[in-house]
Amino acid sequence: MTTATDTPARHAVRKVRLRGERSPLASVALHLTLIIASVIAVFPVLWVLLTSLKPAKFATTTDFFRETTFVNYTNLIRDTEFLNWFANSVIISALSTVIGVFVAATTGYAVSRFRFPGKRGLMWTLLITQMFPVAVLIVPIYNIMSSLGLLNQPAGLVITYLTISVPFCAWMMKGFFDTIPREIDESGEVDGLTPFGTFFRLILPLAKPGLAVTAFYSFITAWGEVAYASAFLVGDENLTLAGGLQKFVNQYGAQWGPMTAASVLIAIPAALVFLFAQKHLVTGMSAGAVKG
Amino acid sequence: MAVHTSQSVVKAAGENTARGRSRGTGTPPPKPGRIRRALSVHWYAWAMVAPVVVVIGVIIGYPLFRGIYLSMTDADERNVARSIGVNEIPATYEFVGADNYIDALTGSQFLDTLGWTLVWTVSCVSVTFVLGMALANILNRRIAGRSAYRMALILPWAIPGFVSVFAWRFLYNEDRGLLNKILTGSGMDGIPWLNDPTWAKFSVIAVNVWLGIPFMMVALLGGLQSIPSEQYEAAEMDGATAWQRFRHITLPGLRPVSTTVVLLSTIWTFNMFPVIFLLTRGGPGEATQILVTQAYKFSFEISPRDYAQSSTWGVLILVLLMLFAVVYRRVLRSQGDNW
Amino acid sequence: MRRGITATALVAALALAATACGSDDESGGGKSSGELSGTVTWWDTSSVGSEDKVFKKLAEGFEKKHPKVDVKYVNVPFGDAQNKFKNAAQAGDGAPDVIRSEVAWTPDFANLGYLAPLDGTPALKNQDDFLKQAVASTKYEDKTYAVPQVIDSMGIFYNKKLLKEAGVEAPANLDDLKTAAKKIKDKTGKTGLYLRGDDPYYFLSFLYGEGGDLVDAGSKSITVDQPEGVKAFKAVKALVDDGTAKTDASDGWENMMQSFKGGDVAMMINGPWAVADTLTGKEFTDKDNLGIAPVPAGSAAQGAPQGGHNLAVYAGSKNLDASYAFVEYMTSVDSQATAAGELNLLPTRTSAYAKQEAVDSEIVGFFKPVVETAVERPWIPEGGSLFAPLGIEYTKVLTGQTTPEKAAKATGDEYRKLLKDWK
Repeated sequence: MTTATDTPARHAVRKVRLRGERSPLASVALHLTLIIASVIAVFPVLWVLLTSLKPAKFATTTDFFRETTFVNYTNLIRDTEFLNWFANSVIISALSTVIGVFVAATTGYAVSRFRFPGKRGLMWTLLITQMFPVAVLIVPIYNIMSSLGLLNQPAGLVITYLTISVPFCAWMMKGFFDTIPREIDESGEVDGLTPFGTFFRLILPLAKPGLAVTAFYSFITAWGEVAYASAFLVGDENLTLAGGLQKFVNQYGAQWGPMTAASVLIAIPAALVFLFAQKHLVTGMSAGAVKG
Repeated sequence: MAVHTSQSVVKAAGENTARGRSRGTGTPPPKPGRIRRALSVHWYAWAMVAPVVVVIGVIIGYPLFRGIYLSMTDADERNVARSIGVNEIPATYEFVGADNYIDALTGSQFLDTLGWTLVWTVSCVSVTFVLGMALANILNRRIAGRSAYRMALILPWAIPGFVSVFAWRFLYNEDRGLLNKILTGSGMDGIPWLNDPTWAKFSVIAVNVWLGIPFMMVALLGGLQSIPSEQYEAAEMDGATAWQRFRHITLPGLRPVSTTVVLLSTIWTFNMFPVIFLLTRGGPGEATQILVTQAYKFSFEISPRDYAQSSTWGVLILVLLMLFAVVYRRVLRSQGDNW
Repeated sequence: MRRGITATALVAALALAATACGSDDESGGGKSSGELSGTVTWWDTSSVGSEDKVFKKLAEGFEKKHPKVDVKYVNVPFGDAQNKFKNAAQAGDGAPDVIRSEVAWTPDFANLGYLAPLDGTPALKNQDDFLKQAVASTKYEDKTYAVPQVIDSMGIFYNKKLLKEAGVEAPANLDDLKTAAKKIKDKTGKTGLYLRGDDPYYFLSFLYGEGGDLVDAGSKSITVDQPEGVKAFKAVKALVDDGTAKTDASDGWENMMQSFKGGDVAMMINGPWAVADTLTGKEFTDKDNLGIAPVPAGSAAQGAPQGGHNLAVYAGSKNLDASYAFVEYMTSVDSQATAAGELNLLPTRTSAYAKQEAVDSEIVGFFKPVVETAVERPWIPEGGSLFAPLGIEYTKVLTGQTTPEKAAKATGDEYRKLLKDWK
């Protein structure tokens, strides 16, 4: 145990209390705070899970369990295009991530290591493109995709998501490469490797965790994207999950049965990956986004 | 034109050591007329950044310029190019100069929406920051069940945003949502969560805070753990109280992390499309409409679709955010922060 | 400006008509050997869980008649369909061959050049059989762009049991409505009326009741900001304020249906499209518990809007011939009779009303005279655009964000922007 600090809540203590010491009352208060916060964090998700296990007609009852059944799930799979939406989301998010990481990797390295004319401009561009509101690009991209015949196609959405993932990945990977000691590059030089050789043979293998984290964030960004997906995809079997779920709950109806079942099926894989990998993701984020 | 940073590189190349890796600082000013040598020295760096430059130029740059151009036309659904099957209808919109900008900046709609967008952004970011900070500090202590708490608290981040927003919409329903059932069950009046303009504003902010706390908490926790414990030990020797330690060690120590997360979450919140779009669609009336959702509405939900106005708003949003980023940096720098 | 737009649309329409005639042997299908084949994608917008099942079955019937045609049934939520269709139609990709187009959308789509003109195609059969009111919305600039599928209007739906308990009759005007609601509240504890606050379509009967209208297409003038409009806004606000009605600014449809089906409110204003769903509710397991009466009159008049749905063919369809045949089939006397029998939807063909299914349906019987006297809406391309600005102000009035006077004025101002040279 090396770190611990005090909370502002205890500024009224008269005697100076050292770190790691606290009265039983304070312990209770801390636990109480954490329990309340955890309940607020978990409850909406839990409630969706419980609702999905109730027959649709009891969806809005307050009972925790009522005639537990999987009928919402079987109906969802059987009567809707849910599996198609899921597959579309996976394919589109995966492609935009892989291409994004691939395109951006060398740039992240170059920006981290070298000085070159145009670097400042590039850094600013990368930063600014990350604050692009969806509103400034959506109409032109919509028109371009429409004239290329790519609207309503997975490829069109992948290209569109690259506008988000490429600058993001480049920026974040720069942060990771910054954490890799420069001595490694120097050893590469000594061995007579070109900068590309140094990058691909020495740096890239070391940066694998960073790449994975970058890829993960890029993936969940695309996975949860709503605006482009709502505007570009029409029909039924072409939708992604974000678009498909809007079919269940909209101005003219709310089918909470399939809605909650779909939510659970979407949330479980994402949450599992997230919770298991959170240590890496957290360090990754502080190295990448925060430090960058 | 942009060779001014290359001096040390040129020198390095002249010495024929490495391929011009220039990590040195304090480079002397360049000599002119070395573009060709610059190319021979920097080709690998340029080659490495080329893919990103090309991709950004093609899929962001070109649409951006088209967007700016559209904002200076009267383009709408009825005069843009359309292809219906084999038939092509050509575009007939016209250039109108700055008219759209004048309309937006002199009319009340843009400014009203901007006002609420600022309230929304400031309240979301500040509440998220304060709560995230509090939870990070608690979690940074020795406390039983810490990792379980942490798992629970991080959950809202692990679930795709659109799923959580639908879950909240389910809870908020005035007649049959769980929140009001609990309230009425305990003898209180139900709350019109999404039906009253003021409550709807509160509700959307609450959902966004719920979504944003885990990121803030985790980032600040990372920052806390990087503060050397010697500093605290020294402060304890001097008899500093808990509050003094927090005020003089924790807060300054968190400064680099905080500035970045505040900047990031300000930008994200300002552009937070899904929460508003999926929870209220900007309603009731237009009470919760932020700039981004309103611009989307112009181009995809009203009839006839107003592409020009939508682009105008988009450009204005971008300009506002860039101004914010520049001012933010300048303020930090003036306070001696070398960010 | 307007002239320019119309000219473009006209050119487009002519061009489309020309290709429509010459596209018989296109690769997508058609009837090269006299038999229809290929795929017809149909976007239906009917309510999920009740109407959609019947329409899907009807569509399958078309496949039996034309075994080589594959009908792809897609249910698109009504609230999204207009936008989704525009997205797809403008792009020329992903659009359906046939769309169920709400009456107000049809002139808008036609004006944009998205719909195939149907005059002289097999889609229009026995044209004289259609109700005159229903045909009006399918015409744009002297051409026919759609075929009426169902026609509707609105009435006040009531829970007979609850009204009986309270000892009241279905209200004939707003004053009756208020006293009835008070009695219902006293006797049963339930709310009198559910008033949908997030869809301005449900406001129209109150506007007509005060003698107002949105616009007057004949004199090209905007009328919503006349004193009648202000009175209408005041009337709905009063209903909510004194507890006669409850309302919602979001999820209105769902809340309305659930409250009425569950017996939490005694009345709602609605149309035939809600009947099938209503009858799935626990209060209406006995069908006879559902009563329907004309919408309550206001201080000046009584009236409900005329609405309905048409079937239209996308101008870029690769399978026009099969699409025409499909539209004809779906709007035929038999199909309309099925919809009337199973869903209580009102046919658009005079002869369908003579069919046993239609005769047996009390609801069809009730709505038929209502439709005949319903207020016709202006069939202009902007017809569908009138609701967005109205909806915002309507919700604002109900939630107390603006006054009736300001709301009427703001709506009128928006309309003047939309309809350039109108008064």
